[in-house]
Order: sequence, then C-alpha cells, then structure tokens
Amino acid sequence: MKRHLLPNEIDLLLDAEVGFGVTPLKAHVRTCDECRTSLEEARTVVTALEHLPHLAPSPLFANRLMSQVQVFVPWHVAALDSARRYVPRSQPVRYLVGALAASMALVMTSLSLWLVTRADMLVFFADLVASRTREFLVGAAGNVLAGTFGEPALRVLRDSGLPGITLALAVVLTATVTVALGMRALVGVASRRRS
Amino acid sequence: MTKVLDLTNLPDADVVALAQQGREHAFRELIRRYERPVFSLIFRMVRDRETAEDLAQEAFIKVLNHIDRYRPEFKFSSWLFKIANNVSIDFLRKRQLPTISIDGSPMAASAAEVEATSFDVAVRAESALEEMESRELGSAIEKAIATLRPEYRSCIMLRHVEGRSYEEIAATLDLPLGTVKTYIHRARHELREALEHLRE
Repeated sequence: MKRHLLPNEIDLLLDAEVGFGVTPLKAHVRTCDECRTSLEEARTVVTALEHLPHLAPSPLFANRLMSQVQVFVPWHVAALDSARRYVPRSQPVRYLVGALAASMALVMTSLSLWLVTRADMLVFFADLVASRTREFLVGAAGNVLAGTFGEPALRVLRDSGLPGITLALAVVLTATVTVALGMRALVGVASRRRS
Repeated sequence: MTKVLDLTNLPDADVVALAQQGREHAFRELIRRYERPVFSLIFRMVRDRETAEDLAQEAFIKVLNHIDRYRPEFKFSSWLFKIANNVSIDFLRKRQLPTISIDGSPMAASAAEVEATSFDVAVRAESALEEMESRELGSAIEKAIATLRPEYRSCIMLRHVEGRSYEEIAATLDLPLGTVKTYIHRARHELREALEHLRE
C-alpha cells in the first residue's frame, strides 16, 4: 500500500476488526511512521475513554427512586404466595400432609369411578327417591284439604282431575289475594281515623 | 414468608422476570446494577449533578413502572439506556445548556457547590508523573466530551464507556448502523483534535 491510511481505515484498526481487508492495513502501519503515529494518537483517545469511571449518584438515590416505583404483584403470584403460606415449613410434616392429600385424592377418585360404573343403580335410586317424595307431598296436601274442606271435597277434586285442581287453586289464590287486599284497606282506614 | 434470593449472579432477564412478579428486591437489584452507568451517561450529557440525578430517576421510573412491557428478546440494559438517552436529549432540547468543565457546574453559586458538582477521574497510575498525566488526560477528555454534539456524546459513551457494539448502539438509539459508525468516527476525530494540545 503506497498511500496513507484513511480515517475509516484507522477506525477499523481501532475496533480491532479482523478480516481480509485489515491485514494490508496492519502491514502498512508497520512500515509507515506517519500512519503509526495517527493510529497511536487515536488509540490514546480510545484508551482514555475506556478508562473513564462510572460516576455514582447520591447514596439516597435508590431509596428515593424506590419510593416512586409502583411494585405491582400480579394476582396469580399473590395467590401462589398465599397458598405457600399454608405449606408446612418442616419437611416431615410436608411429606405427611402430601401423603394425606394423595390418599384423599385416591379415595375420591376411586369413589367417583365406582359411581360412574354404577350409573344404572344411581338412576334407579334417584327414581325411587323422587316417587317417594311425590307420594309424600300428595298425601300431605290431601290430608290438609280433607281436614279443611272435608272428605267429599277431596273426592270431587280427585274425580275432576287436572282442570278441577287448577280451578280450585285459582279460587284459593283469588280468595287469598282478596282477603289480603281487604285487610290492607281496613288497616289503612283504621290508621286514617286514628290520625 | 418468601425467602429472598441472592440475585447478584442472575442474568438481567431473570431479575427482570422476578421484578415482573412484583418482587421488590429484584427492582432494587436492577437499580444497583445500573444506577452508576445510567447516571454517568446522563451526567456526561447534561453536565449537572442534580439534573442528572433527576433525569436518571425519571428514566428508571419510566422503565420500572412499565416493567411488564419488557420484551426479553431485547437486552434490558439497551432499553434502559435508550430511555436514559431520550430523557437527556429531551432535556437538552428544552434547555440549551452551556458546555461546562469537569471542575464543577456553572450553576454552582458557592465554593461548596462547585466542589459538590465537580468529580474526580479515577486513574490507574504507576507513578506520580503518570498519575498526573493520566489525570490530566482524563480531565481533558471529560472536557472534550462536553464539547461534542449530544448525539456523538451518547454514541461514544455507549461504545467506549459501556463497551457496546455498533449494532447494540444502533438498536439502543434507534439509529441506522451507518449513522452510528459515522457519529463515532466523527466523535473520535473531534476528541483527538481537542486533545492535541496535550501531545505538544
């Protein structure tokens, strides 16, 4: 190389880049005093820059800063932390609790599986309970009706079927509402007279 | 109670992950790691200790209060330096500060304030003469940095004080790689010229 190094070529050497193009530059620097001086001057600046110290802020900087930082705990982390509070500290107790929980889970799983395999039995028992409950409720309602209106009224109601029952219910409901409204009107009149 | 981990040997990404879980000691660890580099970068940009602390605080608050937005594919330090550089540039744009010397802030009203705003340059001196020369060079280079354009200043600081690669600087400052190389080249050239008197 017959010419002197260009500024960007000095930069290449400063950045210690390697490669095909750098070798002739290095060779030139070895033979050219002027370029060697330029490179050394540039290196002095870079070395001085690299030795610049990190400056420290005031000792209270971190605390002052932390007072303005919003530390936000996500819900799943908070939930995990809460759960961890209930985990026993000592290892033997932790093993014991773990074993208990595992056996409970095993029993519950086995029970669930057994129930699933016996689905027909479950349906049978559910039907039985439902029919017994229905019979009990119908019997109780019949006793109340027979006690209030007498046995003939109950017989008429049974004979008339669903339309009769609906009509009776409507009559009872209307009578109840009428009585309630009448009572309310009476209470209102009485209070107005008193005042 | 959660056991406090020793975070000093953890990489930044892991510490940030802990901070994202709301662990206060992780926030403190990030501050401990970066308070000096960030403060140094900002101080060398604005040249006033109090302002530099305020801006460093602003940069940290912006980053730490939005730690949930951090994307692990980028370096945490690059993100932090980017914010620090932005707050410094914004400040310099708002207030055209005069260039000052390492010997203290021009805003200092008393001798005590001058002393408080000046800073020492650490040196590795083998002898008294070398220490003096090195100290002189350190002071001179601080002064010379102060005369650079802010864009050159942040590039040269990230390159040679923080040891970042050209690519990292380009990503941090949102500049094209070629621009970063040009800025650093010009900054070196200007610094070399500014320090010429020391060679004579």
